[in-house]
Amino acid sequence: MKLFTKYAIVLMICISSVAMAQMPHDAIYMPKKAFCFALSANQSEWTEYWENKLKRENLNIGKLTTQSAMVMVAAGITDNLNLIVGLPYVKTKTSAGNLMGQKGIQDLSGWLKYKMLDKSGLTIHGVLGASVPLGNYVPDFLPMSIGLQAKTVSGRVIGNYHHKSGVYLQAHASYIYRSTITIDKDSYLSNNKVYNTNVVAIPNATDTRAAVGYYKKGVQFEVFAESFTCVGGDNIRRNDMPFPTNAMNSKMIGAYAKYQPKNWGLNAKIGNCYEGQNVGNSTIYSVGILYQIKSKNQVFK
Amino acid sequence: MKNLKIVKALTILFVGIVGLLIVSCEKDLNEPVPVAYIPANLDLNAGTWKTYILGTSTEVPVSEPKATNSVEYAAEIVKLKTVLANLTPEQKKTAAFWGAGAVYRWNELAREMAARYNQPPASNLEGKYPVPDAANPLADPRFPFANPPYVARALAYLSVAQYDALVSTWAYKNKYNRQGPSKVDASITTLLPVTALPTYPSEDAVVAAASYAVLIAMFPGEIPFLDSKLAEAKNARYYAGMNVESDIIAGDALGKAVAAKVMARAKTDGMAAANNQTLTAGFIEAAKARGIKDVWVSQETPIRPPMLPNYGAVATWNFDKATMGQIRPAIPYIVGSTEWQKDFDELSKINGKQTREQARIANYWADGPGTYTPPGHWHRTAANAALEAKFSEVRMARTMALLGTAEMDAGIACWETKFYYYTPRPQQFGLKTSIGLPNFPSYTSGHSTFSAAAATVLGYIFPEKASIFNEQATESSNSRVYGLIHYRVDCSMGLVHGKKIGEYAIERGKSDGSNLQ
Repeated sequence: MKLFTKYAIVLMICISSVAMAQMPHDAIYMPKKAFCFALSANQSEWTEYWENKLKRENLNIGKLTTQSAMVMVAAGITDNLNLIVGLPYVKTKTSAGNLMGQKGIQDLSGWLKYKMLDKSGLTIHGVLGASVPLGNYVPDFLPMSIGLQAKTVSGRVIGNYHHKSGVYLQAHASYIYRSTITIDKDSYLSNNKVYNTNVVAIPNATDTRAAVGYYKKGVQFEVFAESFTCVGGDNIRRNDMPFPTNAMNSKMIGAYAKYQPKNWGLNAKIGNCYEGQNVGNSTIYSVGILYQIKSKNQVFK
Repeated sequence: MKNLKIVKALTILFVGIVGLLIVSCEKDLNEPVPVAYIPANLDLNAGTWKTYILGTSTEVPVSEPKATNSVEYAAEIVKLKTVLANLTPEQKKTAAFWGAGAVYRWNELAREMAARYNQPPASNLEGKYPVPDAANPLADPRFPFANPPYVARALAYLSVAQYDALVSTWAYKNKYNRQGPSKVDASITTLLPVTALPTYPSEDAVVAAASYAVLIAMFPGEIPFLDSKLAEAKNARYYAGMNVESDIIAGDALGKAVAAKVMARAKTDGMAAANNQTLTAGFIEAAKARGIKDVWVSQETPIRPPMLPNYGAVATWNFDKATMGQIRPAIPYIVGSTEWQKDFDELSKINGKQTREQARIANYWADGPGTYTPPGHWHRTAANAALEAKFSEVRMARTMALLGTAEMDAGIACWETKFYYYTPRPQQFGLKTSIGLPNFPSYTSGHSTFSAAAATVLGYIFPEKASIFNEQATESSNSRVYGLIHYRVDCSMGLVHGKKIGEYAIERGKSDGSNLQ
């Protein structure tokens, strides 16, 4: 989930993942023929942002708040292969100035997560992801836009060590290909050059994450650090607004907790973007409810 | 084990897909590539066309060139052949790039400069907005803040300098009638189409030198970049096999000398006082005396002084100041009146339910910070129309000068109107915007004035496209209502005003001796 929101939800925000039972970035699987439904509410807010590398406020924005509601479904195709699909509705607003808030359905994302190795508590996973915008939102009215309109394809490798005590260590790395987008204007400035076209190249990105946590008997807690870095891209010019070509880089730390003793569960997440470039110095919160339909004979791991 | 095979296959597939993602990095932007063409008409009589600044087309002397059968010319041919014998792929690309047309490329370059510098200054720690300093153009804030009035003026001087210099060039081409190297020496192969137009002095060098002189004055922080472009534009003519060195040297000197005369007007046109903020209190008093009850107030925090409040006093091109007063739009609807309320209600409705199509139109025409502004937008439209019509360099320059002067006149007359009435923006009554709010009074709409003036001029030059240009002007005007930053009356009156302004440029066009549309 983190991957999805990272590129997609309003770019001035280091928004992170929406909490979920089994996510594109964890080592947890739905058993075969089992489903998990999740509904989450997410909020991200910032009053300062990095204009290129300059940390500043903007009195004509005040606090920018991005709220989203997300539905997700995870399905166990086999015990070692899961399909995860998510779709958010996103809304932005400012506390000052006169920029019009934006809202709408954003991008549909899907991931296939596959366990490639499982040995003595050590597991290696591969995740293939893709997303496609569903809403016809404006992508370059930043920081108000709810997304970038890029189609994406991503690949990720996750390494996880789960000790029988419940303690686990986890790390992943991803590469995200992002398509060109079409904007309403037929000319724009990027990297000091005027492009006489409405087609805009969105930089590709990499994404890394490390987490340490505890997971046993339906109780999970973890702390994490993650980094999202564009491959190429330009910077917000002095006193300008952001543009989709910007290298929106962020580093975030946060904590995640889940309690799902049986079918029903709850999760929550908090995070802070402590370092960035061309993004907001944001704090994120999210809470979710989970409901799992188990197949016969399956128990929670 | 069956599972192991599947694992292996899926792992290989996974690694393959990720690998593909990483290598497939080229993204096609689908940018148009203009190419060289043979002009539909060489306009060989253009040396007699009426100039803007030059008294006569031969006011700047250009000495007689060496004959093509002279020893000196032969030596130039040898030198050119050496260049042509060692062309790199990069040099061929340069030749093709500039071959699309000197006026076309330098106008494009000027628009790029405009976009680079179109950024309002940030406020400092004291809550003030430092004024950009021409003597220190790369400090923060950079000079200039290339806002619409600034860009309208920069492009007007650019086009006038190009036009006057090219009229002069055509006069000398006719007078000396020296043909190009490939006509003198059949073994020279050119990379661009060759016509019967004499090549001394080089029109490309003339345009390059004239444009360079205007642009370094308008964008002094870009001198190193413009130096490289000037050299590139001139060298491109050797790479293409189109000119010998004396063509280029004579053209360079002529372009430079004409531009100096054009820039002498720029130095005294009143722009230096355009940002005189001490006048605004008087403007507000005068507007109130005219019956305006609520006046414009900056909606930015901290409060930003209005953009170039005295730009209305800058010298116009195609009409005098008395005329400007006569064609000034009438007083707009007063806040609270029934008519004002009707306009406000239209905006309120959009504020709650802006359609995606309204947003698209507002965005397409926004031409806000980081763009070449509305005058730049119309220059691009004009340049592309002239390219499509296969205009000669001099006819393209005439097109751009008629448009450029009309756009600057539109800016001046519109700004004068804005500060004459000093009316409030819709945001002063609680509306939001989807495109950003310009920091100056509302009535009349600059977009509407610029666009109607441009469409009127371009409709005269390209009558077959007049209806398209008029539709575009109307859409541009509407875009400001859809973006919620102008009342309907700002736009409708701006369109009427702009059309009148454009007609003065047409009047000039009709009497410039070209016998063209």
